[in-house]
Amino acid sequence: MKRVNAVVVGAGAAGGIVAKQLAVSGMSVVLFERGKWYTPADCRKDDLRNQRTTVLGNAFGPEDEGNPRVLVDAAGNAHVVLPSEGSYQNNAACVGGGTLSYGAQAWRYMPQDFRLKSTYGAPPGSSLEDWPISYDDLEPFYDQAEYEIGVSGDYSPTPFRSPRKRPLPMPPLPANREFEILEPAAKRLGLHPFPLPMLRNSVPYNDRGPCMRCRWCCGFACEVDAKNGSQNTVIPIALGTGNCELRMSSTVKEVLVDDKGRARGVSYFDESGHLQEQLSDIVVVSACAIESARLLLNSKSRLFPNGLGNRYDQVGRNLQGHHYTGAVGYFDHDTYDDMGPGASIAVMDYNHGTPGLVGGGMLANEFIRLPIHMVDRVPKDTPRWGLAHKQAMRAWHKRSIVIMGPTQQIPTADARVILDPAVKDQWGLPVARIQGNCHPHTFEIGAVQSQRAEAWLKEAGAIFTSRTGGKPATISAGQHQAGTCRMGNDPQSSVVNRNCQLHDVDNVFVIDGSVHVNNGGFNPVLTIMAIAYMASDALVHNWKGTGLRS
Amino acid sequence: MAGGVVAGAALAAGCASRGRGNWDFLNDGQAHTLAAICDQIIPADDFPSASQAGAVTYIDRQLARHYRRHREAYRAGLEQAELLSRKLAGVSLSQAPQKSQFEVVTAIEKEQPAFFALVRSHTFESFYGNPRHGGNRDAVSWRMLGLDEPPVRGRAQYDFTKGAQS
Amino acid sequence: MKRILKICALAVVAVAALITSGMFGASYYYTTQHGAGCAGCHEMASYVSVVHSSAHQNATTCLDCHDASMATKLRHIAIHLSGRIPEAIRLRDVDVVAMTANCQKCHQKEYATWHAGPHSATYQQIFADSKHNSKRRLMDDCFRCHGMHYSGPVRELVQPQNITGPWHVVRAGFADQPTMPCQSCHWVHREGQPETKPSTRISVAAPALDDSLAFFDRREQMHFAAANLALPQLYEGARPVHASPDRRQALCYQCHASRMPEPSTIADTNHWGPQVGSGDDRTPLGVHEGLSCFSCHSGHNENARASCVTCHPQMSHCGLDVEKMDTTYANPASKHNVHWVKCVDCHTHGVPKPKVQRTAALAAGQ
Repeated sequence: MKRVNAVVVGAGAAGGIVAKQLAVSGMSVVLFERGKWYTPADCRKDDLRNQRTTVLGNAFGPEDEGNPRVLVDAAGNAHVVLPSEGSYQNNAACVGGGTLSYGAQAWRYMPQDFRLKSTYGAPPGSSLEDWPISYDDLEPFYDQAEYEIGVSGDYSPTPFRSPRKRPLPMPPLPANREFEILEPAAKRLGLHPFPLPMLRNSVPYNDRGPCMRCRWCCGFACEVDAKNGSQNTVIPIALGTGNCELRMSSTVKEVLVDDKGRARGVSYFDESGHLQEQLSDIVVVSACAIESARLLLNSKSRLFPNGLGNRYDQVGRNLQGHHYTGAVGYFDHDTYDDMGPGASIAVMDYNHGTPGLVGGGMLANEFIRLPIHMVDRVPKDTPRWGLAHKQAMRAWHKRSIVIMGPTQQIPTADARVILDPAVKDQWGLPVARIQGNCHPHTFEIGAVQSQRAEAWLKEAGAIFTSRTGGKPATISAGQHQAGTCRMGNDPQSSVVNRNCQLHDVDNVFVIDGSVHVNNGGFNPVLTIMAIAYMASDALVHNWKGTGLRS
Repeated sequence: MAGGVVAGAALAAGCASRGRGNWDFLNDGQAHTLAAICDQIIPADDFPSASQAGAVTYIDRQLARHYRRHREAYRAGLEQAELLSRKLAGVSLSQAPQKSQFEVVTAIEKEQPAFFALVRSHTFESFYGNPRHGGNRDAVSWRMLGLDEPPVRGRAQYDFTKGAQS
Repeated sequence: MKRILKICALAVVAVAALITSGMFGASYYYTTQHGAGCAGCHEMASYVSVVHSSAHQNATTCLDCHDASMATKLRHIAIHLSGRIPEAIRLRDVDVVAMTANCQKCHQKEYATWHAGPHSATYQQIFADSKHNSKRRLMDDCFRCHGMHYSGPVRELVQPQNITGPWHVVRAGFADQPTMPCQSCHWVHREGQPETKPSTRISVAAPALDDSLAFFDRREQMHFAAANLALPQLYEGARPVHASPDRRQALCYQCHASRMPEPSTIADTNHWGPQVGSGDDRTPLGVHEGLSCFSCHSGHNENARASCVTCHPQMSHCGLDVEKMDTTYANPASKHNVHWVKCVDCHTHGVPKPKVQRTAALAAGQ
C-alpha cells in the first residue's frame, strides 16, 4: 500500500473537515471509515429504524451484530449492550458520521464555557478545567465552519450571544407555530428568544436546495439534501482534489508505532476483512470520543504498553455528553403544525450567571414529534395502556410542546472509557467499557433547567406541565459524546495540546469531540467542526514536505 | 411436468423444515392470545384496534427478524397468559368477554411485568410506527392523530444560478 | 447437516427448474391457474389472495403481469429456502420495469394515452435534463414523484452529481424506462374496478372514487388509496380557496403540491397556510375556481387540448373563442395562466355582462 502523508480515522464531522483541509493543501490523505456511505434510500424515513429511534436497529450504523460494548451501571454491574440500545451511547458509523442524520443545531459555545474553572471554581470531586484556548482563538474557525458547511439562523446580537464578526450565511427558516406561541411568552419573562442556528439550508446554498419542512429530521438523512453534513460538503471536496482516498467499510485496528516512538501508520481490516497496513507520516484520530479513546488504548506497543498517549492514564477519562432536562406543556389549543424541523426557538439566558450553579444550559423547543415519541409523553396521570391512552394520544399529540436543553455537564475523571477485559468485537478487538457518571452538580443544574422550561411553558399558556429528565443512572454520552482525550497544556492532566497533537507522540493527532475540556450547555457539533478547522490550520502551517516543523 | 413435481417436493421439504402456518413465528393459538392482549392495550373505538391495524403481523414478523432475541419471552409469556386466563376467566383469553380480558391483561401486567412491558412497547411500535412493518395499516393511527400520510409538500423551484426565487 | 440438505435441495431445484423451463416453457409453479402455485409458498399466499378480490381476478396466471424469468424463479426459490424472507415482499425496480408493458396487453387505449403524454417521461428525460441539472442538484427526493419505483440512491442512477455535467443515466436498462409507470397511481392488487371514464359533462359534485386509484409512496414502498390521501386546504393570501371536492385530485396533489413558507416570503404567509399556485400547485382560481383537475385533464395524459370545448363557448362570458384568447392555453408564454385567470385580468375597467347564459347547474355548483 502506497505510503501517504496523512491517515485520518473516521469520516464524521471532524474527520471530513481534516481530510478536506489537508487534501486541499496538497497533502496525500487516506480517510478511513468503518461504515458505509448511506443515502436517504437506506432509511426511507422509518420511524422505528433511524438513528434516533432504534427499536428496529440503527439506520446508519453500527450494526447490532459484532459491535458490542460493555456498560457498567450505577451499582457496578457490567452489561453487554448492543448498538441499537440506548445505553450503548451510539453516535453513528457511516460517511458523515453523526452529521448525516443529526438535528443540526449549530451552536457556538460562549466565552465563559472556555473558562469554567476560573469563572466558577471546580466543584469538589469534579475534574472541571479551563481550556488551553479561548473563544477568541476559535472564533475565526466557527466562522469558517458556518460558511463552509452552511448555517442558517438569526445573527442579531442579544446580551448573551457570543461575539461574531459577520452575519450567518443564511437567514432562519420561517417560524413554526411553536415559535409563535413561545416567543412572546419568553419576552414576557424577560428572556431573549431567537431562532435556532441550524446546519441546514433555509435558502439555496452550496448548489443544494432549502429545507422542505418535513416531519422527519433529527435521526434521518435528508432526502432533499438540505441538511449540511461532512458527507455533502467537505468530503466531496476532499475527494475532488484527487489527493484524498476514502476507504469505507474499513476498521482501523491500531496506530502503528516505530522503535523511536513515532507513529508510522495504521493497521486496519479492509472491506473483505483482511488485515492491512497503511503507512503514513501522520495519523489523525477522529473516531468520536468513545472510539477514539478505544483506538488509542488498543494501540499498545513496547514503548506505550498502556496505549498511545496514555502515559499518565488520561486517555478515556472525563467522558461527557449531555444531561437533557426540560418539560412538556399541554395546551387547550393546537400547537403542532407539522412543520419541520420543529425545533425553532431558543434562549441562552440560562447558560451562565445563576448564583449557586456552575454554568447552566440553553433551552429550546424539541424537534418535531413523531407519533411513536408521544407514547410516553402523554400526561403523567394517563393509564399506561387501554382506551384512555389511545384517547390521550389523540387529545395531546397536536396540543403539547416540549422544551428541553443540554445541561452543562460537570466532568469527573471516573466517567471513563476503558478496554473491556473479556468482550471482543467482530475483529477480536477489546470493546469499550463505559463506566462512571458525571458530577452530581450536573443534576442540580438539570433540575433548575426543568423548572425554567416549565415556567416558560406555563407563561405560554400551558394548562399543565410535567418535567422530564430526572437523574439518569448512567452517563448520557451518545450523539454528544466528548472529553476522553482532553486538550491541555499539562501532559500529566491532558492528552493533547492546543493543536490537538498528542503530548507523547508528535505525529499523532486527536481531532474530534474527545478533546473538549467541557461540553458546553449546547449541542457540540459546531465546536467540533471549528476545532477541526483550527487544528488542521495549525497542522498545515507546521507541515514541511514529509514531516512536521518542530 | 416431472421437473415441476421434483421442484415441488423440494420446496415442500424446505417448508416442512420450518413448520409453520400463516405466521412467520407464532402459531395460530399464540396469535389469538397475542391479539387479545394487543387489543386491550389499544382497543377499537372509531378507529381500529391494535390487531385490526396489524399488530400481530408486526410482532410476528419481527420475532422472525429483529426481535429474535425475544422469542423465548413471547413463547413463555403467551403460555403463562393463557394459564392465567383459564384460571381467572375459565376460558382461553381470546374467548373471554371483553371485561374479563381487561381483568386478565391487568393481571398479566402485574404478574408478568417484563413480558407485558415488551408486548406494550411492541404494540405501540406496531400501531404508531410505519405501515411498512405490518402494523398501522394504511397509516390509520397517523390519520387518527390528524397527520397526513404521505404529507403533501411542494418542492422548491429554484434557479441556482440566480439565487433564491419564488 | 441441515445446510447440506438445503444445498442439495437447491441443486435439485435448479436442475429441475431448468428442465421444466426447457421442456414446457414455464415451470409448474408459475403457470398454475389463478396463482395457486405461487400461493403454495406461504409467504406469497396473502399477495395472491388480494388479487382474487381485485379487478384483476380474471388474470389467468401471475405471469400475465409478472415477469418470471428463470433467474427470477431461482432467486425466489433460493430466498424461500434460505428463510431470509423480507418483512414484506415488494416489487423491485427491475420487476416494475419488466411488467409495465404487460399492462398494455389489456389496457391498450389507456396505455397509448399515457405513453403519448408527459406522465410517461423517461429517466433519461427527467434525470439527464441539462436545463434542470445545470441549475439544481439532483437529490434522492426527486424519486418521490419521478421514479417512485426506483430503489437506489440518485447517485447510482445519474453521474456526475454536480451542476456542470454532462449527465448520463448510468444504471443499465433504465434510461428509456418511464419514471411514472401505471403502478405509480394504480394499486393493481387492490379491490375495485378499473377507473371509469370521467363524464363528458363537467360536474362539481364529487365523482365516485375508484379503489385502485392510489399513490405509490416510495418511502413506505406501498400504495395509499386516494380516499386516504390529504386534500389540502389552499389559500389565496388569507382567503381559503374553494376547491372541487373531487377526491381523485388528492392523487395529483401528492406531486403537484404547494410549497411551504420560505425566508424570502413575507411573515404573514405563515398564518395564511399553503398558497395556491406556489410550487407545483395549479389549483384553479378566478374564472375556473372550484373545478377539479379532472375537469380538463385526464390523468393518463395531462394534455388538456380539446377539453375547453366541453364548456366553451357556450359558457364563456364574453363570447370570445377561449382557445384563441391571450392565455397560457393559446400561448405558453402568456401572462394569463389559464389556471388562475380572472375576468379583471383583461377587463381592467370592469367586467361586461355575460353574453351567454351559464348553465343553471354550473352556476348552482359554484
